[in-house]
Amino acid sequence: MIKISYATAIFVFCIGLYTILSKRNLFKTVIGLTIMESGALMLIVTAGYVHGGVPPLIPMEGQAVNPLPHAFTLTAIVIGASDVALALALVIKVHRRYKTVDLDKIRGLKE
Amino acid sequence: MILTLAVIFPLSSAFVIPLLHLYGSRGLRLFLPIMGLGAFVLTLAAAASGFGDYALAFFGGWPARLGVVFVADGLSSVFLALAAFGCGASFLYFYEQMGTGPWRFYVIFFLLQASMNGVLLTGDLFNMFVFYEIFSLAAYLLVSYSLTWQAVEAGLKYLVMGTVGAFFILLGAAYAFIATKTLNMAALAASFPQMPKATLIVIAACMVVGFSLKAGAFPFHFWLPDAHSSAITAVSALLSGVVVKVSIYSLIRVSLLFFGDALPSVFDVITVLGVLSLLGGHLMASRQQDIKRLLAYSTVAQIGYIMIGVGMGTATGIAAAVFHSFNHMLMKSGLFITAGRLAEEIKTRNIQDMKGLYYHRRGMVLAFTVLAAAIVGVPPLNGFMSKWYLVVASVEKRSFLAALALVFGTVISASYYIRVLSVFYTPGEGSSEHESRRPVLAIAALFSACCVVLGLLPFFTPIWELFVEVGSKALNTKDYIAAVLLK
Repeated sequence: MIKISYATAIFVFCIGLYTILSKRNLFKTVIGLTIMESGALMLIVTAGYVHGGVPPLIPMEGQAVNPLPHAFTLTAIVIGASDVALALALVIKVHRRYKTVDLDKIRGLKE
Repeated sequence: MILTLAVIFPLSSAFVIPLLHLYGSRGLRLFLPIMGLGAFVLTLAAAASGFGDYALAFFGGWPARLGVVFVADGLSSVFLALAAFGCGASFLYFYEQMGTGPWRFYVIFFLLQASMNGVLLTGDLFNMFVFYEIFSLAAYLLVSYSLTWQAVEAGLKYLVMGTVGAFFILLGAAYAFIATKTLNMAALAASFPQMPKATLIVIAACMVVGFSLKAGAFPFHFWLPDAHSSAITAVSALLSGVVVKVSIYSLIRVSLLFFGDALPSVFDVITVLGVLSLLGGHLMASRQQDIKRLLAYSTVAQIGYIMIGVGMGTATGIAAAVFHSFNHMLMKSGLFITAGRLAEEIKTRNIQDMKGLYYHRRGMVLAFTVLAAAIVGVPPLNGFMSKWYLVVASVEKRSFLAALALVFGTVISASYYIRVLSVFYTPGEGSSEHESRRPVLAIAALFSACCVVLGLLPFFTPIWELFVEVGSKALNTKDYIAAVLLK
């Protein structure tokens, strides 16, 4: 069970990476970034899973799940959101100049 | 206390500046120099407190295993001093040029400085990731600060590459957390040698890819020349001088602490990356016509030098890498400030259009000459000394290929810096006698004087022994673990 969720997380991470590497549309690149982020976060959340665990609240009956990964995930989500916000702002700036978000049509910085 | 202040002071400065701006420009004019000086002094004080012995700061009084801890040791001290001087110089340059007008710049600048100090001080892997992202975000903003189309595109490229690198680091941290249920770096280092080899390889791969992406080592370097050449002069100096070094610091820290005993083959990978970026950077630089792009590609090559030193994994190798990082901060910040200023004054960055600069901008060109000679490695200057130690370290480790690459790279770099200098000194249609303003000249002169002094110092004082001590202390992970966990 837990192995499947690990594999899923890495699969999602790889989908994000593939999107960034293969797509020529700037918006799809940004989407790829968020997918990558979700993959990494899923892995962290899974790390806190305890089979048959209860919420880590007092009074506790049985073994609690690890609450630490959720705190990490929340922090990382905030960081990812600010990354994506800045990326979208820059994409808008690029679009204003070129009227396109297609990387092939943007002349861009070459050597 | 001083360690936390080194982060909190610039951080709170960043948030106070907009408030001061609301109450008119007088407050800003009064407090901005104080903030810059305060951040400089506090960073240096944090560096001094950690140089001799381990300095620790526990947040909320929790022991290191439970809470977040700041650790300053020899390695982080050297890099803190580097960051203090690099940030100080670029702050001075920007303040001299622009005054207090563009207050938004200072907000991002202090955010960058605070988070850089955080990365250099923190002893917690996730905390490092958080500081790392704040500092990367500030760096993306600084690159695209001028909002010209080059700057926006370079910023976007930097952001995408940097974020991919960040997620690789996060993935590595997640694996480390799953394997050990802790994120404290000392505790991780203590439990890494008992881990299965496959896990270690995955974590090492994520970390090395992530940090190489952030540092701009050769196969991952695409964003670096764009970002460093499209930014405004003060930012270029800051990026090449300091920001890249913070990534190098994280690479050194993580590779030594986690994989020093557990997986020594990581260092071979780092060496190969270093050789690739050295040769690739120099070869690309020799083809550039744009002076700032040339300097940026030269940065890629210099990162290669530093990574070769790290890849040796010995005390002398680490010491040479740290020494070269410091020297490269001086040389490349100085080069970017002089070249950027010259390019702004004659309104072109094309090298061929810079003929005869020597005859009407004598001071700046002389400073540029000294700095270029230093980065090529002309004997009595600091670039020669650190390259010499790098070669010595790689010969000691019997990696003759790396040593050969170091020497060969120096020859290529000599060829392209001489090309630039020969254009500067060729008589051309000179405009009227014109000299840059005094403060800029003073900064340039200070950088070149530092290069000369640091080149001569190893002959008179045991400064090299100090660096070797830093290197051997960084290698001694047992002391680090004991110092952090047992207090």
